[in-house]
Amino acid sequence: MSVPHSIALVFRGRALAAVGACWLLVVGIAAIGAPLLAPFDPLEFDPFVRLSDPGWPHLFGTDHFGRDSLSRAIYGARMAILIGSGSVLIALVVGGLTGMLSAYFVRLGHLLMRIVDVLMAFPALLLALVLMTLLERSVLNTIIVIGIVYATTTARIVFGMTLKLKRDVFVDAAICSGAGHASVLFRHILPNLLSPMLVQVSFIFAFAQLQAAALDFLGLGLPPEVPSWGNMLSEERIYVTRAPWLLIFPGALIILSVFSMNLVGDALRDNIDPRFKDDIAGV
Amino acid sequence: MLNYALNRVLTLVPTLLAASFLVFMFIHLIPGDPASILLGDTATPEEVAELSRELGLDEPLWTQYALWLGNVLQGDLGTSVFFREPVLSVIADGAETSILLATMTMFWIVVFGVPIGIVSAVRHGSWVDQATSGGAMLFASVPTFWLGLYLILIFSVWLGWFPSSGFPSLADEGGVSNLRYLVLPSLTLAAPNAALIIRLIRASMLDVSREDHVRTARAKGLHPVRVAIKHIFRNALIAVSAAFGFTFAALVSEAVVTETVFSLPGIGRLVVQSILRRDYPVIQGVILIIVVFYMTINLLVDLAYASLDPRVSLK
Repeated sequence: MSVPHSIALVFRGRALAAVGACWLLVVGIAAIGAPLLAPFDPLEFDPFVRLSDPGWPHLFGTDHFGRDSLSRAIYGARMAILIGSGSVLIALVVGGLTGMLSAYFVRLGHLLMRIVDVLMAFPALLLALVLMTLLERSVLNTIIVIGIVYATTTARIVFGMTLKLKRDVFVDAAICSGAGHASVLFRHILPNLLSPMLVQVSFIFAFAQLQAAALDFLGLGLPPEVPSWGNMLSEERIYVTRAPWLLIFPGALIILSVFSMNLVGDALRDNIDPRFKDDIAGV
Repeated sequence: MLNYALNRVLTLVPTLLAASFLVFMFIHLIPGDPASILLGDTATPEEVAELSRELGLDEPLWTQYALWLGNVLQGDLGTSVFFREPVLSVIADGAETSILLATMTMFWIVVFGVPIGIVSAVRHGSWVDQATSGGAMLFASVPTFWLGLYLILIFSVWLGWFPSSGFPSLADEGGVSNLRYLVLPSLTLAAPNAALIIRLIRASMLDVSREDHVRTARAKGLHPVRVAIKHIFRNALIAVSAAFGFTFAALVSEAVVTETVFSLPGIGRLVVQSILRRDYPVIQGVILIIVVFYMTINLLVDLAYASLDPRVSLK
């Protein structure tokens, strides 16, 4: 099946999810083209225009340092994509491998899955907070921490799905025809996991945005000078009564992006192997 | 059932021990000497030496862990650097707010989540269903602190209906009417969780409605409302009540953000403030208590689930 055809299949009868996907495309373009699209330098202070109303030339207004909110929001898209994809990558590689190997090699699984159990005894936000306490505030550390938090759930999910696949006839057939462990795992089992994992990816991407924004708000996420939507909300919250729009724009951007990602995830979920539907932890 | 319960409790013990070891290691992972970290910057060298001896810092790690665990089991979680009080009593001070907040949040989740979820499932496919499902997903996508800030702006600053921050104890002046301080925070915390419950009720009711006994109930001419409530919802409730339990267990730590927005003196805000103050004994103590609470509630939910649905313990 061609790529455009399968995309059409996913979004058939789901206009809202299609709109969501388009919005995510816009965020992606803003992230890539930020230096070209942003009308001002997102870090430049201009005390003469601090807390100015939305209008020309500052379409989203300015913050309490006189920085242009629109430019910061555009650069914020960069952080959103970076944090989302970074944590997804870590969650998938670490969690995915842990889950697959644990399900395939039973003895190893006893050990690895107990470690996962122990990490899952910590509620997600608390685990992120504890890890951030031990690390310095930086973009990379935020990504690592959120990635680790979701690696645990991913490991659990992949573990369950691999167990189901392992019992399938095609795995026996592969083993009988002399395939080695690596071949069975990566050439026969992995391809079957890809589409349910894609669904999981969209949900992790969405959760990661909310988690990162919460860490920023608590002062334990990205360094304060980094233009991210969470930092914009966190820094300007005391001006909510004087300049309510300062929180409307970054807030709306987070909500729209998370909502879109959830809609896309939901649309994708309806198209995966029905056996795996209950495994996916989404909204 | 008894076997299942014993099995679950027995597997909990090693996990709990391992989790407590991680919490214990927390202090050792912070760069620096644990005794100086635990005592804070103002400690004298004599005090540091004294605590080092008490903690057995020159002993192997396992002995230190055993000493620490022994103290914990006797209720000694150390002394707060900031408050100069036992960690346990600092945490106990925040418990009232946290428990009341979690209870009130659960109240809203039930009041809004259950009826909306039922309606959405009964009328599934209709515009009512699409609006509520879409709305639920939208609420699940809202950062809680953002919602909280705007609730404060609208209902405290503009309308003046509710106080914007703080929470005096129920024992203080005002008594039960002090609960009004928790209305906005609990609504904030309830929004994303109610959204998840709505989607869960809808999904599990739709699952049950495809079963044979529902077709039979419809075929013998029962009223649709009776079928929906007595035959579908009651069966769907098994999965949903488990979700209520898990949600409640997670609320205490999820409240971290909400308690910060509304400056509530709960356990969640205590975690954040202790992190910012580098009050490591309190951080360690709170994490331990939250993890034990979280795991105990999850265990109770699993056991309740198994007793409601015999298929679980037979697996």
